[in-house]
Amino acid sequence: MNNFTFLNFVLLQLYTNKTKHFSIFLISTILIMVLSSFLFITNSISKDMKTIVNNQADFILQTIIAGKVVDTPQDLVDEIISINGVTKVAQRVYGKHFYEPAEHYFTIVGIDLYDKQIVTNLKKFMDKIDIDKFLSKQNMLIGSGVKKFLDEYAYFDYYIFRPPDKSMEKVYIYDTLPNQTDIASSDMIIMDINLAKTILGIDEDHCSDILFNVPNIDERETIKNKIRARNFDIRIIAKEDLLRGYDGFLNYRSSIFMILYLIVIITFILIIYQRYSYINSVDKKEIGVLRSLGWSINRVIKLKIVENLIIFISSYILGVNLAYIFVFIFDAPLLSSVFLGFSNLSNNTSFIPAVDIASLVLIFLFFIVPIIASILIPVWKISITEPTEAMR
Amino acid sequence: MITIIKMENLNKIFNENKANQFHALKDINLHIKKNEVILLKGVSGSGKSTLLSILASFMKPTNGLVEVNGEFVAKLPDKHISEFRLNNIGFIFQSFNLFEQLTVEQNIMTSLIPKEYTQDICDKKIDDVLKLINISHKKGQTVSNLSGGEKQRVAIARALVNEPDIILCDEPTAALDYDNSLIFIDIIKQLQDLGKTIVIATHDTIFNDADMNCRVIDIKNGMI
Repeated sequence: MNNFTFLNFVLLQLYTNKTKHFSIFLISTILIMVLSSFLFITNSISKDMKTIVNNQADFILQTIIAGKVVDTPQDLVDEIISINGVTKVAQRVYGKHFYEPAEHYFTIVGIDLYDKQIVTNLKKFMDKIDIDKFLSKQNMLIGSGVKKFLDEYAYFDYYIFRPPDKSMEKVYIYDTLPNQTDIASSDMIIMDINLAKTILGIDEDHCSDILFNVPNIDERETIKNKIRARNFDIRIIAKEDLLRGYDGFLNYRSSIFMILYLIVIITFILIIYQRYSYINSVDKKEIGVLRSLGWSINRVIKLKIVENLIIFISSYILGVNLAYIFVFIFDAPLLSSVFLGFSNLSNNTSFIPAVDIASLVLIFLFFIVPIIASILIPVWKISITEPTEAMR
Repeated sequence: MITIIKMENLNKIFNENKANQFHALKDINLHIKKNEVILLKGVSGSGKSTLLSILASFMKPTNGLVEVNGEFVAKLPDKHISEFRLNNIGFIFQSFNLFEQLTVEQNIMTSLIPKEYTQDICDKKIDDVLKLINISHKKGQTVSNLSGGEKQRVAIARALVNEPDIILCDEPTAALDYDNSLIFIDIIKQLQDLGKTIVIATHDTIFNDADMNCRVIDIKNGMI
């Protein structure tokens, strides 16, 4: 079968009717770009979250009294490490600091810099720090969001904290945390564990919570139950629970976005269907003439399929590429806030490229297939009418 | 001489069993021989165009027999009707029905696409038919820039490019001036010499004076 002349005719038709097709191409490109951006962002965040959670310890132990999370006694560290199968037990100190000038909360995290860091993504960064130099005076590492707010009020080198005991702690800015960990670290301040305890008003022999690992997956439930049996006032959160929490959060936002998006897509499909249902006399006549020249119904439908596939596949390729640039190069301005607004500080996130082929296939199926169908039904209806009727 | 078109007891009723029912063709019996030129004459609304549309298989009769070039066209399924039309019928419309934004060559190509010829064969066929109709010099021109007479010739070329045996013309001179109408009549004579069977539906009196070897059939109120 010689398809060259047919394809040539399709391209010719597209070219001669370029004004008519351009608006559909433009709207379709924008819709595909928005949908792709949304999927790229969720993929990227999901991947980022999984990386963060996978780098966390297997369990977090918190003390609960009267239903509230309170500071955990440090001696629980010794108790937990004595259990066979438990490795890498570490205390964690964190809390919120209210930054009055901008009315925002910063998250203070205290770490033992000489201890092996249990959180591996933090470890990678902390390994680059000269610990002696860092501890030579009261220093801190700050997230990009914190830096932005401190800069606004001219705290370029240091910031003075007011701990609960009404004293003053002048802490110098040592460095800014890298952007790629921004989802978690935009509002974060990292400092020495003892300084953090002073600023947060945590007793020396207490910590916020305790992290520990159980390498043997089969042992995890047993060890968890063992610790619970010894301490009734504790809560143990598994890494998987955290992951589920993040997923649930992301799914909630995704669902709202998807519903809004579906409304737009359905409206677009209805407009296209309407357009072809009340196909103008020129289009109708064109089909009638082709039928009178000996074009079969199948060939006319094939013409319209190829014509529209060229439009929508080009808009799909363009839309997906624009989305990639928008999300991974320009960091999705406006759209990112839909997903990243959960921190009390805005995140200047650099999305890590994460392209899921299944998502791209999903866009294709959910967008192009219904649109082609919405075009073909009216075209088929016209094709089966008598050519004289169609040419009228 | 072989009978190429046979119509027996042919009826066409529009909007059958409705308040606005219209009996367009009534018991038509007509045999047309190969290489004949038929002038189907009648006033507007007499049923000429309906008869041509049925011959071209654009529409089906309500009842009766239609045999064109050995095929019972009223009973053919769509795929075969299209093939039949492609191979046997060349239709020239009153309003030309050309693609105004395309060139002369591209317009003629629309008839060749279903044949799935290679580009070389298409090019040759287009050149031949343009030479025959004497419009080769307009090959690359956009149809919208042509005069009425030139458009008519492009429409003829498009109808002829697949070398059909039967040419059907619906009011072919209605949109033409006197000189161009005479040119059209010359082309028809030329086509008759090539052995084509031609049916022209017209109410133009110019055909009365034309020196044509043709059979005139009058149609009135759907009857001949």
